[in-house]
Amino acid sequence: MASQAVFFGLFVYLFIGAHYTGQDYIGSTVQRFFHFDPLLALVTIVSARLVYAWFAFALVTAVATILFGRIFCGWVCPLGAVNQLSSFLFKKAKFLRPPREDKASLAPKYYILVLVLVGALLGLDLAGYLDPLSFLTRSFALAVLPSLAQALSGLGGILYGLGAAGLARSVSQLLQNWTINTTFIQGFSVGLFFLAAVGLNARRERFWCRYLCPTGALLGLLSRWNLVKLRIDDEACIKCGLCTQHCETQAHPYPNDGWKSGECVYCLNCASRCPTAAIHFPLSARFEKAANVSNVDLSRRKLLLTTIAGLAAAPFFRLTPSRKRASVKLLRPPGSLPEDKFLAKCVKCGQCMRACPTGGLQPVLAEAGPEGIYTPRLVPKIGYCEYYCSLCTQVCPTGAIRKLTIEEKNRVKMGTAWLNKSRCIPHVLGKPCVVCEEHCPVSPKAIKLVEVQTRLPDGTIAAQKAPFIDHELCIGCGICENKCPVADEPAIFVTSVGETRSETNRLLLDISGGSAEDPYK
Amino acid sequence: MNRRDFIKGAAAAGLALRFGPRATAGPAAAPAPLPVLAAVEGQSPAAITRSAIELLGGMKAFVGRGDKVVIKPNIGWDRTPEMAACTNPEVVRTLVELVLDAGAKKAVVIDNSTNQAKRCYVRSGIQEAVKQAGGDMLFVDAYRVKKMPLRGEWIKEWDILLDVIEADKIINVPIAKVHSFCRLTLGLKNWLGATAGARNQFHQSLDKTVVDLAAFFKPRLTVLDAYRILVRNGPQGGRLSDTEMRNTVVAGTDPVAVDAFGASLFPVEPRELPYLEMARARGLGEYDLGKVRLEKRKI
Repeated sequence: MASQAVFFGLFVYLFIGAHYTGQDYIGSTVQRFFHFDPLLALVTIVSARLVYAWFAFALVTAVATILFGRIFCGWVCPLGAVNQLSSFLFKKAKFLRPPREDKASLAPKYYILVLVLVGALLGLDLAGYLDPLSFLTRSFALAVLPSLAQALSGLGGILYGLGAAGLARSVSQLLQNWTINTTFIQGFSVGLFFLAAVGLNARRERFWCRYLCPTGALLGLLSRWNLVKLRIDDEACIKCGLCTQHCETQAHPYPNDGWKSGECVYCLNCASRCPTAAIHFPLSARFEKAANVSNVDLSRRKLLLTTIAGLAAAPFFRLTPSRKRASVKLLRPPGSLPEDKFLAKCVKCGQCMRACPTGGLQPVLAEAGPEGIYTPRLVPKIGYCEYYCSLCTQVCPTGAIRKLTIEEKNRVKMGTAWLNKSRCIPHVLGKPCVVCEEHCPVSPKAIKLVEVQTRLPDGTIAAQKAPFIDHELCIGCGICENKCPVADEPAIFVTSVGETRSETNRLLLDISGGSAEDPYK
Repeated sequence: MNRRDFIKGAAAAGLALRFGPRATAGPAAAPAPLPVLAAVEGQSPAAITRSAIELLGGMKAFVGRGDKVVIKPNIGWDRTPEMAACTNPEVVRTLVELVLDAGAKKAVVIDNSTNQAKRCYVRSGIQEAVKQAGGDMLFVDAYRVKKMPLRGEWIKEWDILLDVIEADKIINVPIAKVHSFCRLTLGLKNWLGATAGARNQFHQSLDKTVVDLAAFFKPRLTVLDAYRILVRNGPQGGRLSDTEMRNTVVAGTDPVAVDAFGASLFPVEPRELPYLEMARARGLGEYDLGKVRLEKRKI
């Protein structure tokens, strides 16, 4: 559908644009989509107990849904477009033969929604895992775009082999210009989830939208009063059932009073399939019966059970020591909120990881507890934090990473570098090195040089310049760790202690700032 | 132009052809009418670059018609020009213009930067300058890197950027900076940016590496940007106060002499730089500025 193509194109355009374009400040990118998402808005505001002004746009979607039904799902949502297109292709290829009438329960997405909302009440942000925008952005950022880049790069190699150097060069320059990182710790698993979501469309059309999507469920609940009603002209209808068979979301157009306004995404398949053109969508202010919203068995008992299950499950997410003691390797992007607020706000979309020009921002697996899966952390061994870059802070859709100017960002400390003297080349081998000092970006440098003497086995003493870290100047950017020639486990490494955002993960209690007199002196 | 000027010009051109500087000028070259080294001081980076090349006999003495020329600045760091961590973009722009005016088919500018490549290319101002001058800015391409025999004293073989080594003519355009380790980074050390691979291992014997690489790359010309030099917190600085103005461009066919002159601007005695001593011993050039034909000018 044209509208879907336009919005999907816009989504991809904004998504691709969220990187170092040559400008220090890149303006609006794909996070604008997120701001129109009522589920992300609701969950983020509830779980973080903070209102984020940009989410006012979500009201547009909410009002549009109240008035016109789930047009967001059928006309705007980019993951909906992916699902619809793949369903269409699966149908064309005869992998998918829709049954005459589908009796599968549509309830799971409502229970997922209840779980997500209950989690939000308890300060858990679970929306990001299954919210379509978050899911798609994460999949594109960590898997789809990187694998496309890998493939393109491979193609470039083949072109060089074939002697088409000019074309090959264009490919490689393009990839550099788009600053696509191709190495993500969980790129493979994120990609598998995406393939699974696409593949499920071979079971049922728009499988995700029908059964899983909590955002669709929320919009379904809102669409109860919508004005655009499906009407079958009884005189024209020949009761062939094609409309119901080819309904993408199991909204059951026929018989007319069985139509579920909360399931319909207004793809208009039914109207175009109808051999007698008997289906119309006139405006009507008539209220639907509650049962007709989705006709799912949302019994009070089951809803209560789900709520209780959510309440019971939430504590499991907290069975982690990461709230008690800071995690050593959890270097959050600059501008990140304190950990509890950060976890409550981060929707795991991976946009910051896409924007990071060095590829250092990576999805967390275990470092931040179960609710921190897919949240970002800096892994200096893979990529360091570029001193004059604040892109990750500019693309965050929820403010989990506060927007920072370059000057503000330069004052943020993400962690502190430490030296492992038993692996440091000057210290242990008595040979020159100090690559870390050369790369330290702050001025004056946080890595100083001191002369160390190493006693060698033959009794001689080697004197070398060796790094010494000034912990007040160090900002924890990790370039020292990244460039350290001790490749496997760098001799200099950054841990989270001393990070600006935490009051407890502090290194030195320097409240007086060194100016007050010592009362015990 | 009158007849007398024409004859003068023709004679100069003839002499330039006869005594034109060689790619690796040996020590104590036969007395030639053109200097081996030209240092020009002035307020405009472009003008002093132009003037320095003129003193050496003009770009046509180094670049032939249809040549593919590679210009190798220092674009190592994500720093803006006033931080003096990368070569001045105006110097690079001027060289691209001169090279193209001299009839070169292509002027390619490339460096294997230390910080993220695109950020360095953009924020150094060099990408924009080169584009405007009609040159080609090239990112390092992993497929265009090849392990090559250097046959150096320390580095026997290393990954080299093919886009640099396959050019008809190479022009080295370093910037003069202090370096925490080899004291100064000038022209000879700039070749680290034309290599790939685990460059962080070079530091285990940096002076030898510098000389081995300088012996491998054969620049037709070295143009040292000392317009604004880095005097503290090298090799990347970070504050304006880390830099000082010298308003100078040093150009020469003897890469060792260029570095020696660059060192004198800090001031550092050239003989205090071990790599210059080693380079002279290997016949790469002369660092005793009293022994090279040097021409200074102020504009």
